[in-house]
Amino acid sequence: MNSFIYQININFKRIILRNKRFFLFDMMLPIIFYLLYSKVLVSGIPKTDLKSWQMNYLISMIIYSCLLGSVITVANTLLEDKTSHFDILSKLTPLPRWQYYLSRILIFLLLNLISSIGICLVGILVNNLSLSIATWSLIILITIIGTIPLIFIGILISLSGNPATVNMLNNLVVFPLAIISGLWWPISMMPSWLQSLGKLTPTFELSNIDQSILHGKIINNQYVFGIIIWIFVIGILTLIITKYQKSKELNLE
Amino acid sequence: MTSIIKVEHLNKSYGKKEILHDLNFNVNQNQIIALIGENGAGKTTLINILLNLISYNSGTVHILESDNYPKEHIGVMMQQNITITRISVKEIIKLTQSYYQHPLPYEKIIELANLKDMENSKMDKLSGGQKRRLSFALSMVGNPDLLFLDEPTTGMDSQSRSDFWQTIANLKDQNKTIFVTSHYLEELETVADRIMILQNKSISFDGSIAQLRNLEGESLIEFDSQLSPELFKNIPEIIDSKVLGNHYQFTTKNAELLIKQLTPYFNAINNLKVQQNSLDSLFINFNKEGKNHE
Repeated sequence: MNSFIYQININFKRIILRNKRFFLFDMMLPIIFYLLYSKVLVSGIPKTDLKSWQMNYLISMIIYSCLLGSVITVANTLLEDKTSHFDILSKLTPLPRWQYYLSRILIFLLLNLISSIGICLVGILVNNLSLSIATWSLIILITIIGTIPLIFIGILISLSGNPATVNMLNNLVVFPLAIISGLWWPISMMPSWLQSLGKLTPTFELSNIDQSILHGKIINNQYVFGIIIWIFVIGILTLIITKYQKSKELNLE
Repeated sequence: MTSIIKVEHLNKSYGKKEILHDLNFNVNQNQIIALIGENGAGKTTLINILLNLISYNSGTVHILESDNYPKEHIGVMMQQNITITRISVKEIIKLTQSYYQHPLPYEKIIELANLKDMENSKMDKLSGGQKRRLSFALSMVGNPDLLFLDEPTTGMDSQSRSDFWQTIANLKDQNKTIFVTSHYLEELETVADRIMILQNKSISFDGSIAQLRNLEGESLIEFDSQLSPELFKNIPEIIDSKVLGNHYQFTTKNAELLIKQLTPYFNAINNLKVQQNSLDSLFINFNKEGKNHE
């Protein structure tokens, strides 16, 4: 157990604590967006709706931050583990593979937890948002669980194997996903065909579940199932590609 | 004697391309074995099979007399350096220790790899030679019985190389078995008990350096003398000769017999030197012959 905690500790230091990219892109970018659209550029929003807008946009930015962390940081970290031969080093030792993956997945979830808490604190301290601790906790917990399909997308992208492809895929996935799922602007501003597409994304589904918790509404089961389906689809796709790559490696090395 | 590596009728192909054909060898405890071969001879494939990283088509491979691959007792220094960003030397060693049930003490690892001054340095800030030493440190963490070293001294300075091979010789004295590949054959010559040459998809030579010399050996005999070159013209043991003023250079396959032939002239010979062929040139000769037989 002590060994596993040490592995978590070192991964925490290298992937989160000492990783400037994480603080700059996964946390600061959504915080700047949040401050800009909830504090600075709010002249067109009636005062009576401002609090509600600040709260709704906070949810969007929490999910946007988790999207950046889950896709970009996860993909880059896993790619770096491969190119730095960290992956092969651990394969040659008695470390069980499940322990190797578990220590990373826990860190990726922690990464999303930290950025979610960071953005919530900005909402509380800057915009004086107030919710019960139970509601804050539930929103954060659901968000963390709901980011599992996004982490799988990050893992899937990392399998492409080289930095240029990983960067391109990161950009192709993250920004369109953020836009069409309504994280940057309300989804209602988009054409109806794009809205239909956006409503199928895991980020829209997660945002909708969080909004329901925030406003004390009943959670729509459709969105819960939607996220579960995403977890299965991307999880299975990741397994298939990993197996395919392994067999290819065996034959072509 | 304990068999550390036992390979029988091993075959490996990638698609239709055959890489290893019917390999058979046995490695006993407390040996330093050098695997040499030209680029593309299949060394990396063989090592990857021995490390259980890739599969093989047929045959059997037993490591440390076990059917399962006993990772706890095997150390590997890979050809590629491990350079993880944002981690110090101390942290990666402690992290690797956490992978083993009975790791070597931290101080011992640092001492073995001579890493005392760089414990707090970040891995990606190390020089090429320091990275090799760190890779060696990581291979020793589990106190392995069998150690694989793939091009271990690439990038090391000459002092570090010399220290490194001294450490390897000491490890052998502690009953460790070491399987090494390197392009620096003159280094292997000083430590290896046994040479295996991988050529034409199979092991074409397996024995000591002395045995390889008997098979392939050419020696160079040099001396200074005022005697006429005509005197040596008909000595059959001389296969090549060069005369530069008073300096004679004879190449022979039988140095002992040639020296006997030179005995009558010893009074007129100065500065007699006998140089045996290096492993490098033995290997080159061996490869040439192998190709001629193809």
